[in-house]
Amino acid sequence: MRLGSEDVRAIAAEARLSLTDTELAGAVRYINNFLEMVDRFKELDLTGVEPFCFAESNVCPLREDAPEVFPRAREILADRADYLTSLFKVPRIMEE
Amino acid sequence: MSICEMNVRQVAAGVREKKFSAEEVFDKCLERALLHENKVTALITMTADTGREQAARVDERVAKGEDPGPLAGVPVILKDNMCTHGIRTTAGSRILGRWIPPYSATVWKLLSSAGAVLFGKANMDEFAMGNTTGSSAFGPTSNPWDLSRVPGGSSGGSAAGVAAGYTPCALGSDTGGSIRQPASYCGVYGLKPTYGLVSRYGLIAYGSSLDQIGPFTRSIEDMALIMQIIARHDPKDSTSVAENVDFSLPLGDKDGSIGLKGKRIALVKEFQGFTLDPPIADAMKRMVLLMEEAGAEITEIGLPVVSRYAVACYYAIAASEAHTNLARFDGVRCGLEAASASGLKEMFEEVRSKGFGPEVKSRIIAGTCLTEPVRSEEYYVAATRVRTLIAAEFQKAFEGVDAILQPVTPSLPGKIGEVDEDVMKGYESDLYTLPVNMAGLPGLSFRVGYTSARLPVGLQLVGPRWSDKNLLDIGFELEKVLGVPQSAFDTAACNTTSFKGGN
Repeated sequence: MRLGSEDVRAIAAEARLSLTDTELAGAVRYINNFLEMVDRFKELDLTGVEPFCFAESNVCPLREDAPEVFPRAREILADRADYLTSLFKVPRIMEE
Repeated sequence: MSICEMNVRQVAAGVREKKFSAEEVFDKCLERALLHENKVTALITMTADTGREQAARVDERVAKGEDPGPLAGVPVILKDNMCTHGIRTTAGSRILGRWIPPYSATVWKLLSSAGAVLFGKANMDEFAMGNTTGSSAFGPTSNPWDLSRVPGGSSGGSAAGVAAGYTPCALGSDTGGSIRQPASYCGVYGLKPTYGLVSRYGLIAYGSSLDQIGPFTRSIEDMALIMQIIARHDPKDSTSVAENVDFSLPLGDKDGSIGLKGKRIALVKEFQGFTLDPPIADAMKRMVLLMEEAGAEITEIGLPVVSRYAVACYYAIAASEAHTNLARFDGVRCGLEAASASGLKEMFEEVRSKGFGPEVKSRIIAGTCLTEPVRSEEYYVAATRVRTLIAAEFQKAFEGVDAILQPVTPSLPGKIGEVDEDVMKGYESDLYTLPVNMAGLPGLSFRVGYTSARLPVGLQLVGPRWSDKNLLDIGFELEKVLGVPQSAFDTAACNTTSFKGGN
């Protein structure tokens, strides 16, 4: 097994996920099987092969740089939790 | 013929010609859904009030002598990952369980401008990750043909809604087979269009380089009509390609004779070594004979890189893109909140850990792992290079053929709640669908017949990029023999061929 519980717990934490012990056991099994599956790439010589892109994407389609009016600004913001007039209330991010 | 058995064109024509009103259509469809929805559960949200208001507006336009559009009064189901202004859009997830978008997806704007009315938002695997609709936070959907079985996924609710006759049309999204596989399981048409043909603006993203919106219908002509409306360049989607494919041309003569003369149809050599459920293997044999008799040239192509590496490549790319796309769901911008969290990091973790289901968490962790600096060259970047080889292999294969005929899945729909203990083996069953997304190709899933136990059996045609119309042309010819798919709850269904070995 290439990644142990602590490795997977650390990866989950990077993804802002905290796992129960049961979830962690499942995630360890899953991620090791996943790595085994993608190890298949090592059979191929990928030297000189470019990463994929759709041929049409070679030209970046730019929109006209024109200002747009959003008539429902309040509605767009209304969904947000703790939206106070013109401010958002968010949790503390600094330690005491 | 009841209104619920009509196709898109028949409903729109009836409303425009005042044979019946759009409100009458909506109410008949609603009546049908209310009769079956407690068993099928195809919908997360039924938009009865909104839909009826929209239908009334169509009727007003008809009464005034105005043109309400080619979809006049046609009720449509949208997969619940397409944003609808003012109507809850959940992506099948608890994390967006109460989210109400302040804008609509481009596809819905196009359909509603053409006169369509919203019937409901369809159940789906959470964030489109799954092939049973069983990972939805809102519970599973049943296959209308056999309520104990899955409808496929992730667009299982959309497919089940059309198969149950709630509406003649629905939209789904296909990242690795999520339109084609449920279409096959539910016995309706499903088209995964060429990547870039239909705008993804307002689609809640799973794997952005793979996702594509497409229709479910019960006739090829309906499919062409819907594509004619939604295949439009959209400046709000930078991957939407400026050129438009014309679907408005006649799909072929309608004299009843099937004509595929000059069409070069390929079978994939490597796929023929894999085991299929007997009814699917029978369907392949029957279609080859039918196409040959209709004048098509049947050839064989080799796709060794696709066969060996597509599944691993797909899951590496899809998980990596999903991990990035789903990073935005953090409790700050939209969706679930964690009022009691002590700090920002705690809030992120609480919201995400409570809000996402097990399959989504697994794929986010896999994507995070593969894209970490220490591993990204070995896995994620390698996957993008393998993808180049896969696309090149398809491109070369299509130099000599017009379309590939292949299964959609190796097996018929399983029972609801059956869990595949070997998850990676389950992923392997997507081999027939996901390479199409890797190369951005179009794929048409069509019903061939039924097993003796009334389960639909379907196959798939895959073409080169921008050949969507050609696939529909072939589908239209085949429909002359195969007949149009029926609703599971209508009596005339299943009077076509049944296949050996059906369960």
